[in-house]
Formats: sequence, structure tokens, C-alpha cells
Amino acid sequence: MDTFLTEKHRIVRSSVRAFAQREIMPISREIDEDRRFPWEVIEKMGKLGYLGIQAPRELGGAGMDAVSYIIIIEEISRAAAAIGLCASVHNSVALYPILAFGNALQHDKFVPDLAKGKKIGAFCLTEPNAGSDASAIEATAIKDGDHYIVNANKVFVTNGGVADICVMFVRTDPAAGPRGISVIVAEKGTPGFVVGEKENLSGMRANPVCSIRLSDCKIPAENLLAKEGMGLKIGLAALDTGRIGIASQAVGIAQAALLDGIKYAKERIQFKVPIARHQSIQNMIADMATQVESARLMVYRAALLKDQKKPFSKEAAMAKLMASETASRVADMAVQIHGGYGYSKAYGVERYYRDARITRIYEGTSEVHRMVIARNILD
Amino acid sequence: MRIYVCVKHVPDTAANIKIVGDAAYDTEVKYVANPYDEYGVEEAVSLVEKNKKGEVIAVCVGDKGAANTLKAVMAMGVHRSILIKTEDQFPGSDITAKALCKAITDDGGADLIFMGKQSVDGEGMQTPYRLAAEMGLPVATGIVAFSHGGETVNVQREIDGGAKELITIKTPCVLGAAKGLNEPRFPKLPAILKAKKKEIKEMDLADMGLTDQGQCRLKSLEPVQERSNAKILEGSTREIVASLVQILKEEEKVI
Repeated sequence: MDTFLTEKHRIVRSSVRAFAQREIMPISREIDEDRRFPWEVIEKMGKLGYLGIQAPRELGGAGMDAVSYIIIIEEISRAAAAIGLCASVHNSVALYPILAFGNALQHDKFVPDLAKGKKIGAFCLTEPNAGSDASAIEATAIKDGDHYIVNANKVFVTNGGVADICVMFVRTDPAAGPRGISVIVAEKGTPGFVVGEKENLSGMRANPVCSIRLSDCKIPAENLLAKEGMGLKIGLAALDTGRIGIASQAVGIAQAALLDGIKYAKERIQFKVPIARHQSIQNMIADMATQVESARLMVYRAALLKDQKKPFSKEAAMAKLMASETASRVADMAVQIHGGYGYSKAYGVERYYRDARITRIYEGTSEVHRMVIARNILD
Repeated sequence: MRIYVCVKHVPDTAANIKIVGDAAYDTEVKYVANPYDEYGVEEAVSLVEKNKKGEVIAVCVGDKGAANTLKAVMAMGVHRSILIKTEDQFPGSDITAKALCKAITDDGGADLIFMGKQSVDGEGMQTPYRLAAEMGLPVATGIVAFSHGGETVNVQREIDGGAKELITIKTPCVLGAAKGLNEPRFPKLPAILKAKKKEIKEMDLADMGLTDQGQCRLKSLEPVQERSNAKILEGSTREIVASLVQILKEEEKVI
């Protein structure tokens, strides 16, 4: 893979890998078991620029490209997918829509703190009755002078428990259907902004995924991104970028599972030889390595297209579909190689198996991605 | 203040090294800055940051790929670099020291020189001493603590038995850094972008006018034999001693 990378990207990879291995790997099991959000690591990531990867330098960001972004997310996710998730969501679906659709005032107000990691961002779209069908959201924002009165019940908010700045999807015109959806930036601390209990999830347990409820929350009208009715457009653009992040997160999980599988296959002796000498295990290793490599190539291609300012929506959807399904399969095979031990929390593969599963669901399910891809091909 | 840091471009210790022919290895592995040299880089960069003045220059004897390693240390805050190119995979520490000395002297001379106490590939531990000898400067290696006092520096060096020696050395001097001196920083992302624009002055070792091309030649490389597993002997002391003697006599044939 490194053949395709520029020198800058190689230095990014080796420095992020060193960071992830030294600072994150040692705590990855503990933060999963204790469901602990590791602030000490997040603060360091903020100082290194990992939380404002693509934000411009003049707004406190690192000013890097999309390829650097996916390298960073992959390396962090390899060490702990839940932290990779925090960084991916923060950088892409929280920070990116503010950058892409916000005005100068909104940039100055929100971007520097997010880009330096002083504040954490979240993306609030999903509701109890609106998931894949984003146009079904019920949250409302009613204009009242220079404010909106917002009522919303958002669920499964990644980073929800720690987020200060939420990109919130609301309905500003109840009669206008999909065209009545808008995006407003809601800040924690606003009266009526209530963070719910942490979801007790199967994987990504170090990420404080929560519900967020806004009750008659008075949000300044100047926090509305772009114009009323632009919500779905902003959402789709954010998710295109988000998909690349989640895809690279999935590649990171798959890479971790592959390496652990190889290591264990060489160590574990059965029938007097390391199991790596058995053909059935070799076949698994070969399939795992091939699938990881193809997923990674697809993610790189989508990121490269984005950097070249070419359309990348279809490629991002393909990469996310491929990488998330690869992560699930490869993690499953890694558990299989480990046998009974793989089902135990004593080894990391059990965590990869749980973490991988959600990548096929969030930021667009595999089914929605197939729909996006088919539309791109058939239309 | 001008601080030079000698940096070696070495294979990553996690890399799987394959020996090719008698005295070479396959270079298609990941290379990194010698980890001990990174302690030197960190110390030099933080000293300049603390004093808010001065310049840190990295010097490397290596192949053209070593430019990547120099960019990596420049991302850590080194201001510019000098690369002395050689195709030799294992230039001896004698010729390396001569080349480093000439490059540093020609560049303007040092107030301080940092480097790792050893490299993780050759592990010769010779270069700091040879460089100091070439330059006529005092030297200390195994440095785990450092403070700068202008005309002198105070260092702690690790010696046998876990003890530490405290020394005051006149500057300029050569210091070989050891683990524990500091925690090398991870480069910030914008620093990686800035490093791309920093200067790497390249020269060829062969063109440096060094008459003596080195007395050390690597004759052959062999992979380390895998050690057999440790065996724990059980039983009473008398039984353990008896079986140990038997192993040494009959299995290992050392007595």
C-alpha cells in the first residue's frame, strides 16, 4: 500500500502509528471493559491536530488532505475502534458540515475549538422513528424572532455524552416534507439541552453513545447552517465524507484482526505444528489479507478522488460497504483462528468482532449503501 | 546556539530482516530514525524552544532513502538537515565519524552535538567516541539527564549496576543519548507539512575529500539462531544440581 503514498503521508502514518501503539493500545481493553472515554488520550490527539485534520490552519486546524485523514483514522481504529469512531465523527460529520456550509461568523464561533479538540462535536440525525429514512425526522425548530425554539429527541448520538457542539437535524417547515429539514448547531449548556444515559452497546463501548433531548431549547438563529430547507443536502454531503472515515475505521479494525490472527496462528501448536502450517488456516489468512488490502485500496481511492475535487460519492459508498463487510468477515475469521480463546475477552479479537459489527449499520447501513451505489450506476 | 544531532536511518526493529548474499540485507523494509537518536533530537529541539533561540541541524550518513528519516526528525522540530550519501549499507563507525566531523565543521561548527548512544542496527556504540575524537571534543554517552549551563553542561549517565554518574562537561561536547533522557514528541500534523519545505543539503561521501575511506569492513551477516526454550528444573537442590551437571555434560557438552 505504501507504494501509493507520498512521503508526507508516510510520515503521517508512522507518527500516528507510533502514537496509537504507545498511547492507545495499552488501554484499549480497559476502556472497552470499563466503558471509559479516555480524555487523557483525546486531549493529546487534539494537541497533535488529529481532531481538526482537514480544517484550515487559519481556523486552528491541521490543513491536511483526505488521504491523511483516512490514514489517521485507520491507525487509531487499529488500536481502539471506539476512539477512531470519536475522531471520525468529530472530524467528518460534525466539523465538516460547519466548514462546508457555515458562514464566516459560524466558522469563527465553532471551528477553532473543535479543530483543537477543546470541544467535541457530534452529529444528531437519528431519531426513534427516523434512521435510514432521514426525511422522517420529527424534531422541530420554530422561528421566534432571532431564535429558534427547538424540540428534538435524538438517539444513538456518537460522542453524545461528551459533545459540546451538536450538528442537529430539525424540521423548520413541517408542511414541506424533505425540503422542510434544516441543520442548526446546538450547544451543550443551552437551557433545555439534556444528555441521556449512555447506551449499553455491544461494541464501541469506550465511546459515550447517548441520546440527546432538546426541550423548548432556545437556539440563536445565527446557528442555522446555510438556509432553511438545506438539511438533507448538508446531511448527504456530510455523510459522503463520513463514509470515508467509517470505511477507514473498518479497515483499521480488519487490519488489527488480521495481524492478531497471523500472530496467533504462528504461536498456537496443534497436531505438533503451529496451526499456520495447516492449509485451512492458511486459506483464512490469505483471504483475510486479500480482503483487507482490497478494502484499503478502495478507501484510498475514494479519498484521493475527494482530494482531487472529483465526484466521490459512489466510490465512498462502495468503500464503506466493502470495508465494513470486510471488517466483520475478517474479525470473524480471526476469532475462528483463535478457537475458544478467540471468544474470550482475554484476546483482542473478541472486541474487534463486536466493534466491526456496527460499521455495517452506522452512517448508512449496508443496504442503504447498496441503494446509493445502484442509483449511481443505474441513473 | 547551533546544535547538531547525528541521526541514523535504520530498519524498524519490528521489521523482518532478510539477509541477501554474504554481507547485505534486503532493503525493502520500513526504515525509521534510530530510536536513541530521537532522544537526542527531542533534547536539542526542546533546548532551543526553551531558550527561544538557536538552530538544530540533523546530520546523517546514509543512502538516499535517509531523506525520509530526516524529514521525520524535521517534523519533530529540527530546522534543517545535511545528508551525506553513501551506497554502503554498513559504513564503518570510523568513516562515519570522519564524514560527520567534516560536515559539521564545514557547516560552521557546533555548540553541542547530540546523538544516540548506539544504533539499533549496528549496535557498535563507537560513533559518539570516534566523532568526539575526530573533533577534539569531550564526550559522554548513556545520558539520561541533561541541563545546560552556558559554558558547561551537566549530565547524568547510566553506569553499571543501575548507578548514575553526574558529570559536568565543557561545551562544545558530544553527548550520546539513552532511553530515559526524555519522551520524544509525536510530530503535530502541521509540523509534518512544514517539514516538507525544510532544507536537506545533500552531498556524496565519496566527494568529501576524505583520504582515509575507513578501516572497517563488514565481512558477513548471519541471522541470530533462535534460542531453545528455557527449561525449569524441579526437585530438591541435590536433584537439581545433579540434573544440571548432567545437562551441561551430556546435552550441551560444555563440561
